Amino acid sequence: MKLTVWSYQAPGHLGVTKAASSFAGVHTILRAPKGDGYAAIMFAMFERLGVPPPMTVVALNEATLAGAAADIGRAVLDVDQRFNPDLIVVTRSATAAVLQEPLDGEIGMIPAGTVGAPILQPSAHPVRDTEISAFAKTVREIVDHFAQDGHPRTAQPSVNIIGPSLLGFHDHSNVESLRRMFADMGVLVNAVIPLGASADELRTVGRAWLNVTTAYELALPTLELLRERFGTMYLTDAPYGEAGTTAFLRDLAHMLELPASRITHAARGARLLWYARTVDAHALSGKRVGVFGTPAAAAGIARVLHDELDMSVAFAGTYVLDHGDWLRERVRDIAGEVLVTSDFADVARAIDQVRPDIMFGSQMERHSSSRVGVPCAVISPPAHILNFPLGYEPFLGYDGANHIGDVVNRTQVLGLEHHLIETFGPRGQGRFAEAAPEGIEAAPAPAPGDLRWDDAAERLVQRIPFFVRKKARANIERYAREHSLAMIDESTVLAAREHVGG
Amino acid sequence: MFEPGGDVVERDDFCSLAPIGWLHHKMQDSFFLVVGTGSCQGFLQTALGVMIFAQPRFATAVLDEDDLAGRDTLTALLPLAKTVVEEHRPQAIFLASTCTPEILKMNVAGCAAPIERETGVRVYPVRMDGFDASYTQGEDHVLAAMIERAPETDERNLVVLGCLSAVEEAEIRQECRAMKLPAPAFLPAESALDLPAIGRNTVLFPAHPYLQGACAYAVRERGCHAPAVVFPFGPDGARAWYEGLAAAFGITVSYERREQEAWGACEREVSALRGRRIAFCSDALLELPIARALRAAGAIVPFVATPSVSKKFHALELARLDVEVLERPDRFTMFARLADARPDLVVANLNIANALEGMGYGVKWSTELTFQPIRGFAGAPSLFALFGAALRRHDALATTRAASGAQANPIDLSFFRAPVAQTVA
Repeated sequence: MKLTVWSYQAPGHLGVTKAASSFAGVHTILRAPKGDGYAAIMFAMFERLGVPPPMTVVALNEATLAGAAADIGRAVLDVDQRFNPDLIVVTRSATAAVLQEPLDGEIGMIPAGTVGAPILQPSAHPVRDTEISAFAKTVREIVDHFAQDGHPRTAQPSVNIIGPSLLGFHDHSNVESLRRMFADMGVLVNAVIPLGASADELRTVGRAWLNVTTAYELALPTLELLRERFGTMYLTDAPYGEAGTTAFLRDLAHMLELPASRITHAARGARLLWYARTVDAHALSGKRVGVFGTPAAAAGIARVLHDELDMSVAFAGTYVLDHGDWLRERVRDIAGEVLVTSDFADVARAIDQVRPDIMFGSQMERHSSSRVGVPCAVISPPAHILNFPLGYEPFLGYDGANHIGDVVNRTQVLGLEHHLIETFGPRGQGRFAEAAPEGIEAAPAPAPGDLRWDDAAERLVQRIPFFVRKKARANIERYAREHSLAMIDESTVLAAREHVGG
Repeated sequence: MFEPGGDVVERDDFCSLAPIGWLHHKMQDSFFLVVGTGSCQGFLQTALGVMIFAQPRFATAVLDEDDLAGRDTLTALLPLAKTVVEEHRPQAIFLASTCTPEILKMNVAGCAAPIERETGVRVYPVRMDGFDASYTQGEDHVLAAMIERAPETDERNLVVLGCLSAVEEAEIRQECRAMKLPAPAFLPAESALDLPAIGRNTVLFPAHPYLQGACAYAVRERGCHAPAVVFPFGPDGARAWYEGLAAAFGITVSYERREQEAWGACEREVSALRGRRIAFCSDALLELPIARALRAAGAIVPFVATPSVSKKFHALELARLDVEVLERPDRFTMFARLADARPDLVVANLNIANALEGMGYGVKWSTELTFQPIRGFAGAPSLFALFGAALRRHDALATTRAASGAQANPIDLSFFRAPVAQTVA
């Protein structure tokens, strides 16, 4: 037993349900106590579904404990007749698995010919598999079920997009962004999997020239399957950022033998690299950030912040333990540290110790950061209702790069205002006290050790703009040490400024 | 054997762990230690909106493969309980067993006494599994566990059973004073250690329609008196509840005038309900009394779907309701009934609330009813206002849509295979 108040990943059966229910024409039958069926509430609330989600809970109850059969056969028949699905996925929660009901036997007893839809029992283990690994396996198994050999490649260059789903992180927007981009590239989208993928699309999934993904950890088993069965190559890294998307499209253009000029066309609306050059963004240089989330999001966002906005990645990390090395590989050259843990408290500690200027994480990091006054942008699941926007808020592709720029811009503490408040003395007095923005720290304590600052010198250094103050303070102290001064006064400050700048 | 339909599929239920949401708020010194799977933990995280840094007073001891393979329960549980005591300093721990320990026949309840000995903190063993008819019955089990530890008495006292808000309790105290009844004790109180004495002369009076288990347990174990009641929803329900309370002490009072005054006080709220059609498709077990109160207010209730009906515990409500009650219908039976009845408002839980809006109905979210102070005379305006507000909002938005010619489009999920006959015009 492990005492748990919060976890990054839901149990495996939710991953199975999320994957299966995202396909078109696939209905999930979940054998579980009624409470385990709360996935249905998540579908209804987060996706604001206007219809019941395509899942049916066959509740395990007192009668079951007394020996009653699961009645899966009847549920299968009911679902088949009512929904006419192309596939029925039968799965169970950990609790139902413990009961070791012979679901196979019950399914086997359904008279041949009474149920039109084929039945698939996913292999994901209800205890050992997590939400993400169960999702990834189930998508692969459903694709494998439908995919047919012998379909020629499409005439036009084409891709399958693997990864987006219902309850996915900004997935509706991400898919829209990628569709727009591929349309600009003259690349056909053969199928989006699992979100909305129909049996027909899956049968001809092998027609695509190339497979791409929105989230490596969700897509890998399917990418591998399609490579094995159809020899389709794939790109592992999702297109994060403007430079990142251009690099992604260069690889894509190379593999699909497309002229590079199309990339320029696709990139015409991208603004992130220009934003990075504008004066407004200069202050981002060297700002320390922490990044934590899924491997794909953490790697993608860390690279954007470092490569495209010149920020400094104090740490990057993921809670998907299986893919820690994958992330490490991608951020090795830029991240001060790589954190691989599934315990939110480890991440909260890292935030507290590192005190990044901005944190980028999941909804949990938003909580952890706000507790220590660090601003935080949410860039990864676990998601919150706020991550199911009504409008268009992609994280991927060129439109996604623009959105990431907006997110950074909105999250950092108040640029110029912050500067002014810091420059013109102690924050808020009298009735202005409440006007001080959150997250501005009190003046740092005088330096420890042998050096002392007198009041006048301290006042003076407080007038130095906050973003260079730390460096100026260090310069002044170095100057004082070089000149064997124990007390820093106004004249030391002025002299230091004169001699070493800052 | 393989006939479609029947009673096994497509119901929309909430887990019995849900009452932890309000019980841990009520009992400020309690901690709920849930022994279960990652699913239980996930449910609590999702449904109760865990505010980690507000120090939630509940956590899950998530079973791992060693536990499933038969590791000694106490060995595994004791260190976790000690951690809870050190970190949260509760006065009492509710040790909740869930579906999986029940299936595995783990002796979670048997761990309560040793943990109490080792930690010095009271431990109530509770079954909060999801096998029950209704999620609200989690509270029933918690209260039964507390009754087990309640002191005995021979005094003729009054215990009001059910988690109530301070304002609801205040009204009951005031009315008891006015009727010269013994001052009521409440279970639960604000401390999980504050247990009323219960004995053969005790009048145990339930405030919620989902506490039949705790009542039956107290009657069986302590021989106390727990009369059937009309539950205190709406002025008519409040009147009957108080008159029943007086009768249990052998006093005859008439609250007729009190009821009239209360109806007068909520005339504005009631006028919004007269003639409006309100159907119940929810799972809180509050359906019978609230439907009865809405009918008394002049609303039309075409049918009530509810998880279960207790002929004995709900006898007085059933006698007053006089509408068709569907016990545990599946989702599609309810949809068919709604298509016939065409109510103005459907009281439904979160699973299907948006789907019903998508079908064109106005919806009142039902779970809210379990934690709003809507009982008693003072709660009546709030009770009716909940439904009036939902109707007003539905009407107002429909007017906007009609005037603009705009649709209300949910996200395009046309790829879902729509079942037959779901949509109303």
